[in-house]
Amino acid sequence: MSRSKSFHVLCMDVGLSMSNSAPGEDSPFELSKQVIQKFVQRQVFAEVKDELALVLFGTDSTRNPLAQDGQYQNITVHRNLMVPDFELLEEIENQVHPENQQADWLDALVVCMDLLQTGIKGKRYDQLNIYFLSDLSVEANSEELDVIVENLKQVDITLQFFLPFSAEEESVDEAGDAGRGGPGARGSGKGLSREQKTGLEMVKHIMLSLDEQDGLDQIYTLRNAIEGLCMFKRTERRPTAWPCQLTIGSALSIRIVGYKAVTEEKLKKTWLTVDALSHKRDHIKKETVYCLDDDNETEVQKDDLIQGFCYGSDIVPFSKVDQEQMKYKHDGKCFAVLGFTNQNLVPRHSFMGIQTIKIFAPGDDQHAGVALSALIRALDELKMVAIVRYAYNRQCNPQIGAAFPCIKMNYECLIYVQLPFMEDLRHFTYTSLNSKKFSPSDTQLQAVDSLIDSMMLVDKDEDGNLKDLFKVHHIPNPAFQRLYQCLHHRAVNPGTALPPIEPWLVAALDRPDVIKERCGVPLDEVKKVFPLKVMEKKKPLKTSAEIFGKDSEQPDAKKAKGDAAEEDEGEEYNLADISEGSVTSVGSVNPARDFRILIKQKTLPFQGACEQLTHRIEQLLGNKNTQYYMKSITCIQAFRELSVKLGKADLYNSYLQLLKGSITNRGLEVFWDLLVQGSISLIGQDEVEGSCVSKNEAAQFLVADEKNEEPVATMADDADDVDDLLDNM
Amino acid sequence: MAEWNAYFRDEDDGEAPEEGEEPEGDYKVTGRDCLVFLVDASKEMFIKGEDGEPTNFDMTMQVVRSVYTRKIISSRGDLVALVFYGTKQSQDPTKSFKHVYVYHNLSELGAKRVQQVDALRGEKGALLAAETMGSDETSLCDALWCCANLYRDCKLRLGHKRLLIFTCRDQPHGGDSVKDRQARTQASDLRETGVVIELMHLMKAGGFDVSLFFRDVISPPEDESELGLQHEPCEKLADLQRRVRAKEQKKRTMAKLNLCLGEGVNVAVGMYAVAVTARKPGAIRLYRESNEPVRSKSRTFHTETGSLLLPSEIKKAQVYGNKQIVMEKDEVDAIKKFDDPGLFLIGFKAMEELKVHHHIRPAVFLYPAEGEVKGSSCLFSALLTKCVERNVFALCRCISRRNYPPRFVALVPQEEELDEGKVQTTPPGFNVIYLPYADDLRNLDPPQTPCASPTQVDKMREIVHKLRFKYRSDAFENPVLQQHYRNLEALALDMMAPDDIEDLIMPKVDQIDRRLGPLVQEFKDLVYPADYNPDNKSAAKRKAAEAGGTAEKKPKVAVSEDELRARIQQGTLGKMTVPLLKEACKQLGVRTTGTKKQELMDALVDKLAT
Repeated sequence: MSRSKSFHVLCMDVGLSMSNSAPGEDSPFELSKQVIQKFVQRQVFAEVKDELALVLFGTDSTRNPLAQDGQYQNITVHRNLMVPDFELLEEIENQVHPENQQADWLDALVVCMDLLQTGIKGKRYDQLNIYFLSDLSVEANSEELDVIVENLKQVDITLQFFLPFSAEEESVDEAGDAGRGGPGARGSGKGLSREQKTGLEMVKHIMLSLDEQDGLDQIYTLRNAIEGLCMFKRTERRPTAWPCQLTIGSALSIRIVGYKAVTEEKLKKTWLTVDALSHKRDHIKKETVYCLDDDNETEVQKDDLIQGFCYGSDIVPFSKVDQEQMKYKHDGKCFAVLGFTNQNLVPRHSFMGIQTIKIFAPGDDQHAGVALSALIRALDELKMVAIVRYAYNRQCNPQIGAAFPCIKMNYECLIYVQLPFMEDLRHFTYTSLNSKKFSPSDTQLQAVDSLIDSMMLVDKDEDGNLKDLFKVHHIPNPAFQRLYQCLHHRAVNPGTALPPIEPWLVAALDRPDVIKERCGVPLDEVKKVFPLKVMEKKKPLKTSAEIFGKDSEQPDAKKAKGDAAEEDEGEEYNLADISEGSVTSVGSVNPARDFRILIKQKTLPFQGACEQLTHRIEQLLGNKNTQYYMKSITCIQAFRELSVKLGKADLYNSYLQLLKGSITNRGLEVFWDLLVQGSISLIGQDEVEGSCVSKNEAAQFLVADEKNEEPVATMADDADDVDDLLDNM
Repeated sequence: MAEWNAYFRDEDDGEAPEEGEEPEGDYKVTGRDCLVFLVDASKEMFIKGEDGEPTNFDMTMQVVRSVYTRKIISSRGDLVALVFYGTKQSQDPTKSFKHVYVYHNLSELGAKRVQQVDALRGEKGALLAAETMGSDETSLCDALWCCANLYRDCKLRLGHKRLLIFTCRDQPHGGDSVKDRQARTQASDLRETGVVIELMHLMKAGGFDVSLFFRDVISPPEDESELGLQHEPCEKLADLQRRVRAKEQKKRTMAKLNLCLGEGVNVAVGMYAVAVTARKPGAIRLYRESNEPVRSKSRTFHTETGSLLLPSEIKKAQVYGNKQIVMEKDEVDAIKKFDDPGLFLIGFKAMEELKVHHHIRPAVFLYPAEGEVKGSSCLFSALLTKCVERNVFALCRCISRRNYPPRFVALVPQEEELDEGKVQTTPPGFNVIYLPYADDLRNLDPPQTPCASPTQVDKMREIVHKLRFKYRSDAFENPVLQQHYRNLEALALDMMAPDDIEDLIMPKVDQIDRRLGPLVQEFKDLVYPADYNPDNKSAAKRKAAEAGGTAEKKPKVAVSEDELRARIQQGTLGKMTVPLLKEACKQLGVRTTGTKKQELMDALVDKLAT
């Protein structure tokens, strides 16, 4: 059975005057277009089967069923009633433009009504709506007004107007709506043309005739409509009733109905996997095979599998049939009171499960209503809750939970939440915070106190009414909003990058501006009196060692890896830290590590990083101390290792040759011996193809050359001296 | 056995696990947690209490058993050993220690082990213990050394290592200073390898003086301010249970985050899951012939070419409004990203603003991480103190992991509470309550029902009063899980039938009836008319269904008389649905008795034919 659906007609003025706007403001046309875009977008993503039509008026051409003999001119039915799709969104994006004619807006309204009446013939419907967007700047022929109103009433069409200005009286407007309406809503009366004024009167007349009390509430400003449409898109779900009986002992039962009141809404759709080229889903197949855990990974057929469970280290084969037969069974649906307890014994943080259920008495059973009301009021007066056994039905596992009394202005109910089982709880102990080391001083406490003062979100306004500045349960789930925004963007503008998050959404998730302003000073005070120091952690070293650890020869890399395993799940966090790019140059504390990270992240070109590293090595060697020598050695090791890895031997080789040349000169023999001990030589052709050093040369570099080098070096020394002498002369 | 989590993972749509779930049991990352029970088996442990109270040994065995069964359910990857010292017989894998008896080597638990511990309980157990092990000299040094070997010889990668000593003797070596010194040295060696040694000291006549010997054996408390040593010795089983429970698990953070109060003011905090719904673990697939577990491998391939597909050859898509919208895999992740992980303070609200029904998932716990940002504990503590004092909660935006969309949370302050024995019952910190978005609230149309009169309410108050009890969150076991594990136990041990479980969440109807006595009838007389029967199921059902129906608007129909006539002529009347037909009957003023489709159609045909 198909559900009944609603029918909507969007009727938008695209005529000449709609493009007029004050400098720096969006024109009524732009705003109207945004409204219908948001509206259609929300229909598309909510996947409701409602049908929707789009009528434009003020168009250059005329295309509508009523157009005859010069009547109903410049009105175009852009799209007749049908379920909206992306095609419509694309059309709105690309084909709806400001045009140059004007049309009688009442005529347009009649076209819409006609569209609805013909469209719904033979169909079941829930609601008929017309959304009318115009600046009313064309004088309408009011002769037919009463006939139109009569007709609207008869067919039961709901009408909503969206105007560039506010419909409220001037005086009210000043005080109330001015702030909210923003720059887009010009004050009513002010700056309105004569036509607009009469038009507005007619609109009011229509709305009040349709609904004497709240009719005017259905007239919106365009600006408010955009905000409303942004914020309040949600997938509607009809609540399903869960009839049951609340029992206390064997003799007392009260008929109840439960409704899910709060639960985390999930997206209805998940991502499909498609082939990257064809974008087709059925081009991709996922196959799962099973194999024994032996060396050959022998495959076994699915039919040869049975199911089992772990009982500690034992694996127990346990067939589905046996399991079904032996499992815990119960009598099905129930809401049975185990007893009553004080509310403070059921603290908020002990709530389990993913939902709350509101329990009412059935609407048609007065007696059950009275009985349940007695229970609710008794619990409320005593500040107690009922502890109950709850089972949704026979197939579902029973739960233990609490039923809280809830008394509202217009209704009473019990609120059911699940409570934990013993198996769910983990008892951790934490160090007391009352130690001297952590105790805040009076000044510090004072600073926090002022901060709280400045950041209270619920405030009294001038009239003494409480006003909540930040209602979380009025914010739409940003994840959905963002996904819809991106899907819409990709569908309408294929091939372009995804847009940034919409500003209104960013603002909705942030501190309210008032609070931002107020908390500035107290926050600075907190900053001043509480010293906070980010601890230098050894972890980055460990993680970098992990990144390169496998082929690294550093003995401490292995140890570091072992240590890292001891740590709890902080690893991802730290990994993120270093990949976040805190290293920008080769520092002096741990140059080898910095160098590795720089190369890994490619923040600097290879040559640049090498230059920085060699510069550090030269600095270190200037100290002539074994500790610094060791540090230099690790640098050179890192240099060599990464040069080999990247296949760029030249920089390293030339540096090492240069270094060797200066050994005696700088008195670095001890350091050289360390290099020889570690057999850190040139990179040969066997390691890197492009190297100009042969394997042999590399091998000989440390040993054979040493002896030859000495006399050469002395000779060079002598030569220098001679030069110097010459210079001095 | 390597693939602990394999069957929980749903790789297909690549969705990340639930935010609330922690990567529990991921031994690849953390190694396995180890727990060694080192139990004194000297004669003193077997002395009975005055009023037939269980012996210290018996109490210890009960605790060991409950830890065993609990671990099988909640953390079956953990390794556990049971070692006795001060025994006559000796048994250890290396055969090099006297007076030490390794009853269970360090390994995973199984049904057999639970049975073996059971055998040591009660009178019979004491006899068995005397027979197999006996009581004799004590050398705690050897016992600790033996335990060190257990840890060392374990082939698996170890995570957190813990050793619990159960004894009622504060001077195990009777004052022999050489032995004392050896034991202390051995203990310090053990601690150096990362083993945390805890003392579970039991009651003995004359009191247990920790300072005589044990103070230098056990690990110092995490922080010098913690007065861990002033615990009174355990007298009652419940106390011991609680104390062991607090120590048996290593607490792990789900995430370490910054709580940002504003530009540049970041408090490092750890997030801990303190209540996680325990579920039946998934089934494992076994090979029919050998009962050995099989591994599953899945691969993605192209249906036309048959070639395996690389991740780069796959994209993600959704269909909306007749259009398939395609995105790259990393774009799908990018859409979910709003900001880096962390908590961002929005402001404060009075506690009354936190509504009971705004609940969407279990809370987590927040405690400062001094090791990340020095000074965190102090600011955290100040915030906690002030929030408690002013009865407010902090509202924060929370992104708990990378590429998770934001949620708003209430940080509800919680003060530390200790019991009489100075054991922490409630830790200090903030409870993190997740708040619903607009999408998470359902619109309800509450039925209008009358209110009760004060007399009726008073009667109910009496009923409520009679059925008061003190709720404790750890008092109720999950019957479904318990039954499942009993079944497995029975199958593993080839028992004829599983042990019966006690369903603790079943109302004790008899007791309730007895306690209430005539109150029920009195209340019923006040609220129900004499002939009222809430059990009248059929009536109740129908009425309830109608009540549900009022929440929805009845569909309106627009089927004109002409159309009906046309349909009758074409013979397509049968294509209309029953409600439509009914509606049409109503419109035309046709009275029908039947509800069958054919009856409705006949009635319409009759009417329109005339």
